[in-house]
Amino acid sequence: MRRILGILLTLLIIMNISACSNSNDDTKAIAEETVESNNDIIIRLAGGDWGFPSPYLHYSRGPGGFKMYLLFDSLLEKDENGIIPWIASEWRIENEGKDYIFTLNDNILWHDGEKLTPEDIKFTFDYYKQHPPVWNSLNVNGKYIVKNVEIIDETNLKIVVDSANATYLERLGKARILPKHIWKDVKDPKKFHSEKAAIGCGPYRFVEYNREQGAYKFEAFENYWGPKQRVKAIEWVPVSDEILAFEKGEIDTVSPSPDIIGRYEKDKGYAIKTNKGFWGYRLIFNMEKRSELKNINLRKAFAYGIDREEMVDKVSRGAAIAASMGYISKEHIWYNDNIQKYSYEPEKAKKFLKGKSYSFEILTGNKGAEIKIAELIKMTLKDIGIEIKIKSVDMKTRDAAVKNKEFEIALIGHGGWGSDPDSLREIYGTDTQEDGSPSSNSLPGYYNEKIIELSQKQMKELDKDKRKEIIYRLQELIAEEVPQIPLYNTRSYFVFRPLKYDGWMYTYDHHYPEHCKLSYLVREK
Amino acid sequence: MKKIIIYIRSASPIGKAAFLLLTAIIILSIFGSQLSRYPHDLSSGKSLEAPSKDHKLGTDDLGIDLWAQICNGARISMIISLGVATLACGIGSFIGIISGYKGGIIDYILMRFTDMVIVLPQLPTMIVLGAFFGPSIKNIIIVLSLFSWTRIARITRAKLLTIMEQDYIKIAKGYGASFKYIYLNHIQSQILPIIVLCFIKTTGKAIVAEASLSFLGLGDPTSKSWGLILNRAMDFNGIYFTPYWKWWVASPLIAIVLLVVSISLIGRELENKYDFKM
Amino acid sequence: MSKNIFKISVGYVITFLFIITINFFIPRFMPGDPFTYLSSDESGMNVTYSDEEMQKYKEYYGLNKPLGIQFVNYIRNVLKGNLGYSIILNDEVSKIIISRITWTLGIVIISIIISCFFGTLLGAVSAYNRNGLIDKIIYSVFMIISEVPAFIIALIFLFYFAAYLDIFPLSGGFKPFVEYESSFENITDIIHHGVLPAVSLSFINIGNFYILSRNSMIDILQKDYIITANAKGLNKSRIILRHALRNAILPIVTRIFLSLGTAIGGAVLIENVFKYPGLGTLMREAVFFRDYPLIQGIFLIMAVMVIIMNLTADIVYKKLDPRLK
Repeated sequence: MRRILGILLTLLIIMNISACSNSNDDTKAIAEETVESNNDIIIRLAGGDWGFPSPYLHYSRGPGGFKMYLLFDSLLEKDENGIIPWIASEWRIENEGKDYIFTLNDNILWHDGEKLTPEDIKFTFDYYKQHPPVWNSLNVNGKYIVKNVEIIDETNLKIVVDSANATYLERLGKARILPKHIWKDVKDPKKFHSEKAAIGCGPYRFVEYNREQGAYKFEAFENYWGPKQRVKAIEWVPVSDEILAFEKGEIDTVSPSPDIIGRYEKDKGYAIKTNKGFWGYRLIFNMEKRSELKNINLRKAFAYGIDREEMVDKVSRGAAIAASMGYISKEHIWYNDNIQKYSYEPEKAKKFLKGKSYSFEILTGNKGAEIKIAELIKMTLKDIGIEIKIKSVDMKTRDAAVKNKEFEIALIGHGGWGSDPDSLREIYGTDTQEDGSPSSNSLPGYYNEKIIELSQKQMKELDKDKRKEIIYRLQELIAEEVPQIPLYNTRSYFVFRPLKYDGWMYTYDHHYPEHCKLSYLVREK
Repeated sequence: MKKIIIYIRSASPIGKAAFLLLTAIIILSIFGSQLSRYPHDLSSGKSLEAPSKDHKLGTDDLGIDLWAQICNGARISMIISLGVATLACGIGSFIGIISGYKGGIIDYILMRFTDMVIVLPQLPTMIVLGAFFGPSIKNIIIVLSLFSWTRIARITRAKLLTIMEQDYIKIAKGYGASFKYIYLNHIQSQILPIIVLCFIKTTGKAIVAEASLSFLGLGDPTSKSWGLILNRAMDFNGIYFTPYWKWWVASPLIAIVLLVVSISLIGRELENKYDFKM
Repeated sequence: MSKNIFKISVGYVITFLFIITINFFIPRFMPGDPFTYLSSDESGMNVTYSDEEMQKYKEYYGLNKPLGIQFVNYIRNVLKGNLGYSIILNDEVSKIIISRITWTLGIVIISIIISCFFGTLLGAVSAYNRNGLIDKIIYSVFMIISEVPAFIIALIFLFYFAAYLDIFPLSGGFKPFVEYESSFENITDIIHHGVLPAVSLSFINIGNFYILSRNSMIDILQKDYIITANAKGLNKSRIILRHALRNAILPIVTRIFLSLGTAIGGAVLIENVFKYPGLGTLMREAVFFRDYPLIQGIFLIMAVMVIIMNLTADIVYKKLDPRLK
């Protein structure tokens, strides 16, 4: 017995020693990496399985699509301020917004060496009609927006769309172009598993994917037509614990929770960026089921009676901002700051209630944060006389219930708060039954003619400044009406080692630098 | 009551300690709200306070007192485990007794059915059923009971088969005694201790099963059992690197272990008493 | 005898049909479907499909047909060995399962070896020192350990060995993108990752092995030939190993097969603690996203494994125990 104990002890000691020596090696490795010359940089990011990076095989959720975006280019791209030329060097809109004429750049090559032609682009828009890709920007209200594509000459082509719409430029611009010579014979793209499915004309080309480990490897494409790549290769490696992996130098960026951010603040070797608040939670009222909620005073009581700052502090540990009541995120380029704001004022809330008391059921998912938010809402609303019952179900059950309007009040969290403000129309201003998109059904029973009118108007307004004005006005109206309560937008941290790589940027509509193509390319000043 | 006291007196020191512990936890679960100064569902301090005089076990990230949560969790764990044990013992012993008493084709069918349920991989089925029924205390009790009755049915059936072999039962049957008569006069007194034992064991198992489900995030998120407190704590980003785990993870973890171990020790004690191995 | 086998196999066939039926219907009765997404994980992406798109996808995966027809198709496919096409992972379910099952089986089998070896050995030691101090200590330790839920043991290991001492990795199955110089290093790495999951999993069964071995050893040690051997003054460990253990092996072997079933179920939880790339973590995801074919596939495989283990236990027990013939 004693002998066994002895052996165990020695084993433990040996393990300890080897663990220590390991960590020494790691610090050395980090020091070596930082002196690497710029051209040989290999960026390592936290992996995870998000599917094979073809437009049809990446998973619909998660960042799989952004990996695919690095391999496939589109007609237009995005930078900090807006849409920029990409495959198309310039574009015109004619025929009252129904014709889009794109001029293409020369000498664009596919990863397999073939040349990109306007044929490929025509093929792509025809193919997407038959086989919608996972991330499909070309369907609006269930209809395919492209009528047909005409090739004008070697470098020009005309895309005819079904109607004038302010969002169409972006929609057409972000469709990923497919190589015709590969896809023309593919009958079922969902089962096209060949490595050929990852051939695009983007700045990086596909090297390796391992589903089991959630690992990917992309390398810079030597014959890329556009801006030079800043890194030689990008690897996504599976990590057990991101913080640990980051500190050991296994990955180059991390999004730590605010409680840990202190470890990086003082150290010069790290730089911290705050991600944009384009992901958020909102509270949806079902006015069909509980018609009391049609009363604007009750909704205002909610708006004043919920302490959104407290949620930011306690649930997100400070890494968030209370959302604008006009829905458009405070960091959106078209956010209107001059609108009605609602802070936590229980006395005011009580006044709006006029002494009445109510009781509602809040439907939430079963993620920790959501339940915490619901609990905080319950606590504060109790003080003003609204009794809340929390019903928590798993995510899919909640989503289905929201879609089928089987709830009284629902708490839901999702991204896309930075995208085109046409989202206001989808949420607040659909007027017909023809619309099938689920998010448009998400304010059941709410109807406001003025909001609908403006929403429809902004959609058809092709002049940017005029459209912006309408969007501003819409935010004002919505904030006064409180048809739903946007709670808060998360602003997570993004920590990286500037000495190794500092190209991280945010496009105007996205919250995470790792996802942006320009983060990996040389930028012209 | 008297019987219980006699049992405890005659128990081994470990058994006594276990009994004391269990009693303490039961008291906690009944008088929990009186024993904790703070509410279990409202924040009463700063976020993530370390244990102090004020907050005996510290607070969680919402500033809710952990001691209060542990007290409330004890209640929920108790309700669930007692519910499961009652339901499972009811179904299990009923099927076991019928099966053992009637024998023949009824026995064959019932036992095949029991076998089927036994063969189902428990946790995966629970995951699927848990998602299917949706989370609430009632549903969790139902799902857990679905899996707990099988052993009880087998054990009671086995016991009943040996009882049925006894001559006096054969004689009683020969005289045309009804099932009710035989059961009340001959079977009940012999089968009851076994059911009591099963009951205790099932309580322990149910607590573990509920904690596992909650830990996977499939419990009822609005009634915080110990497993759920643990789940919340583990969900906290990078909990390993903060000092918070020392109270936030440790206290529900220790609570679960203490409860489960004390129940099982009492079970063992009774097993020895009846000289009956399960 | 053959009548008996017939009876048993009928029982198993019925069980199989029962499993396949609930396996088909339960996922489909869960609220939600694979295509409805309104929410996403924090900082995650999601697409919401319009009704038309959802209709298209349902058609594509054959989910728009009446349930009865789907069920018949499902059974037909399963009998052909086709488990379907995963909706979220865009690949053949059987392919996905094969890539994951080795991990699960790996830790399950190793855990059984650990629990069987240590359980039996300590059981024998205990039995030999029956009622002595060592026996009492080992006995009470095992009584307590075998009751503590395995996932809690796993958590304690995770905090102590992985996070605090940093001897073992926090999670995962192996290091990625590392070019190993030899397969030896590769194996070392896999073992390094597998130690904590396998050891925690072994706690599920170790108590059973211990009790079993202790009880049967106590029986055997009272047999005449052991007493004789003792009287002859033979070496103690020789008696235990050569004579006593050999005879206690039968119930232990049967137990191994039965334990495999429990361990496969228990692995689901342990894998989730260590984010181990086995079937358990996959199962949780599949349920989370309502990937019907994947849920069904994993569930079926797990159930079949358990059935086979139980069947083998039955057969082995009958083969090994002459008294039953």
